[in-house]
Amino acid sequence: MAVNRRRFLIGAAGVAIGGAATSGLAACAPGSSGGGSQGGGGGGTPGEGNLALAFWGNPVRNKNTQAEVAAYMKANPKVKISTQPGEFNTYWDKLATQTAGGTAPDIIQMDMAYIAEYGARGALLDLAKYGVDTAKFVEGTVDSGKIDGTLVGANAGINSAVLFVNAKVFDKAKMDLPDDTTWTWDDLMQVAAEVASKAGVAHGVASMFGSDAFFGAFLRQNGKELFNDQGLAFDASDAQEWFDLMVKYQKAKAIAPPQEISEESTRPLDQSAVVVGKAAMQYYNSNQLEAVNAVAADPIQMLRYPSRTGKATERKAWYKASMLWSASSKTKNPEAAGAWINWWVNSPDAANIDLAERGIPANGELQQQVQSKLSKDQQVVAKFIADIKPELGPTPIAPPPGGGTLGSVMFRHQTDVLFGRKSTADAAKAFVDEVKSNLKV
Amino acid sequence: MSAISELSTVHRVKARTEAERRLRKREAGKDNKAGYLFLLPWLVGLLVITIGPMLASLYLSFTDYSLIQAPKWVGFDNYVRMLNDERLHNALKVTFIYVFVSVPLQLMLALAIALLLNEGMKALPFYRSVFYLPSMLGSSVAIAVLWRQMFGTDGLVNQVLRLFGLDATTGWISDPKYALSTIILLHVWTFGSPMVIFLAGLRQIPGMYYEAASIDGARRWTMFRQITLPLLSPIIFFNLVLQIIGAFQTFTQAFVVSNGTGGPSDSTMFYTLYLYQRGFGQFQMGYAAAMAWLLVVIVAVFTAINFFASKYWVFYGD
Repeated sequence: MAVNRRRFLIGAAGVAIGGAATSGLAACAPGSSGGGSQGGGGGGTPGEGNLALAFWGNPVRNKNTQAEVAAYMKANPKVKISTQPGEFNTYWDKLATQTAGGTAPDIIQMDMAYIAEYGARGALLDLAKYGVDTAKFVEGTVDSGKIDGTLVGANAGINSAVLFVNAKVFDKAKMDLPDDTTWTWDDLMQVAAEVASKAGVAHGVASMFGSDAFFGAFLRQNGKELFNDQGLAFDASDAQEWFDLMVKYQKAKAIAPPQEISEESTRPLDQSAVVVGKAAMQYYNSNQLEAVNAVAADPIQMLRYPSRTGKATERKAWYKASMLWSASSKTKNPEAAGAWINWWVNSPDAANIDLAERGIPANGELQQQVQSKLSKDQQVVAKFIADIKPELGPTPIAPPPGGGTLGSVMFRHQTDVLFGRKSTADAAKAFVDEVKSNLKV
Repeated sequence: MSAISELSTVHRVKARTEAERRLRKREAGKDNKAGYLFLLPWLVGLLVITIGPMLASLYLSFTDYSLIQAPKWVGFDNYVRMLNDERLHNALKVTFIYVFVSVPLQLMLALAIALLLNEGMKALPFYRSVFYLPSMLGSSVAIAVLWRQMFGTDGLVNQVLRLFGLDATTGWISDPKYALSTIILLHVWTFGSPMVIFLAGLRQIPGMYYEAASIDGARRWTMFRQITLPLLSPIIFFNLVLQIIGAFQTFTQAFVVSNGTGGPSDSTMFYTLYLYQRGFGQFQMGYAAAMAWLLVVIVAVFTAINFFASKYWVFYGD
């Protein structure tokens, strides 16, 4: 045979070691990937220097952001901003490696799930110190960007957790849309079960129980929260109540069979159940209405999530920051970075370009100014955000480090329950234990 | 490499005097220098891209490293934590099932197709390419996405089953009972590269052995067992080692099919996927580095067992 024993052994061993090494190990070295540009040079005065700006987006947001950067550079010729557009899932891997390698972008589009991971570890700039003014922000929109009392994120737009409704599915079932100001969680179940069976769709209501936002709302209506400054602010019995409700919905066929629910969780927006008409209702964030209507064949509308008491004013809603603007604490131009963020959140120039793409502006004056320029869907959202003001509860704090994954941990344990592999009590306990251990490290 | 060894054989005639011997030695040194020069690109790559990061990750495995803050030395904490990490144990279970089911299945299929193609059929290059195609595509993101569509509750597979009057609503990738099997199937389907290697091995078995055997009245099955298998055993061994190592490191398919969650219910939570989630999702890079080293040890142990066992069944012609 042509294969000589010795040569073969050496070759195979080399493959063994090399192969194993390159896959896992090399990926874990600090700064082994990433790259990106570093904001360098320049003086420290506001409006001077080079800035790198990273954000995740969609085609509309990419275009808007480029236009905003161009407008800003025209007004401030001494500032050079280079953009690093990205996609949500890979954005965080890249940001983590960049931060580890000391090449974090100067300006960072931030999400509520991650702000504490970075902010609590000192990776984000104290924006109040560098000229970001939140005096005109409407109530409840500043605190979401504060970690341990420091402003590390400026609210880039308001949204709120809602139910999107496929009106055509309700038509098909010959049902009117329910009154969302008086309904309870049980009413929602009955409506969902009825519309699902009459219209012949799999999901009466989709993506509801795996949503940490809805679970948070459910807790808030009972005087609890997902998190407080001590850590987890609910216990296993609260989680079990939520899981029991889910089983009740499952028995009533208000939610889809487990394999459908599990599949739905992996679908992108344009194939999601409410968009393609496989769901009557689905959990979403209000700022996504326009994006959803852009891809859905049927008209999509919005409803409030229910309350325990049947009074919308007691449903403990909140203004969520759809995203925030943060700056790296390692930036060489903190003044310039702060100046840009301040311009973005407070100037009509920026707001007139972005309108409500990133959510309704947090700055109350800008809300008024852009109102007339909004698209039809954006106007619906803006009105909704204004309407729910009497229904707001206290603003929830950002998840502490390790808490951003609460939703996915919960959904995994719920899947066990839905497939009948675990009791709600066991799943609730396992869920709470796991989140607690994630918070510890 | 062979050119260099030929160069040194020129001098293999025995040196007679001390001076001659010294001269020889110096010349041999020159040869080696040239050799190392040619090896340099690879050596630099090995040191900078492989060994360096490996050592760094060994260090990180003893630290608490969030990527954002500097690593903090914690001794064996990460390794101790792995003992009590149930999700890690589940990930090991999933990965072991995957390796021990998919690798033998894939190799058997590869060998069977290679035997078929070796029957001297017309248009062999065409068929060889067709069968090899899935290997090129199989680990790609596009195919995993396609797989997700095909095996969805309303996917092609269920629609075909419905044509036969079955009430097919199974979630082949969304039901924890079936999800792993579907990914195993995807892996088995990419049998192309071991097949090509088998085919090359089969081509090297001299035809006269079969002629002699058939004159002695041996049947096909006997020929396969007595001639093909022993002579092919180094190739089988090579494929086995390679595929086992590869299977332990499976990532892309699981990542794409489950959308990075390892779901449903961790049923497709492969070891590497869990490592990735810990490192990049939960900012526990120290723990992830420790996990990577456990994987190296596991792969090394399995490769060692393989090599040890090979003494008993692999036949080298020389």
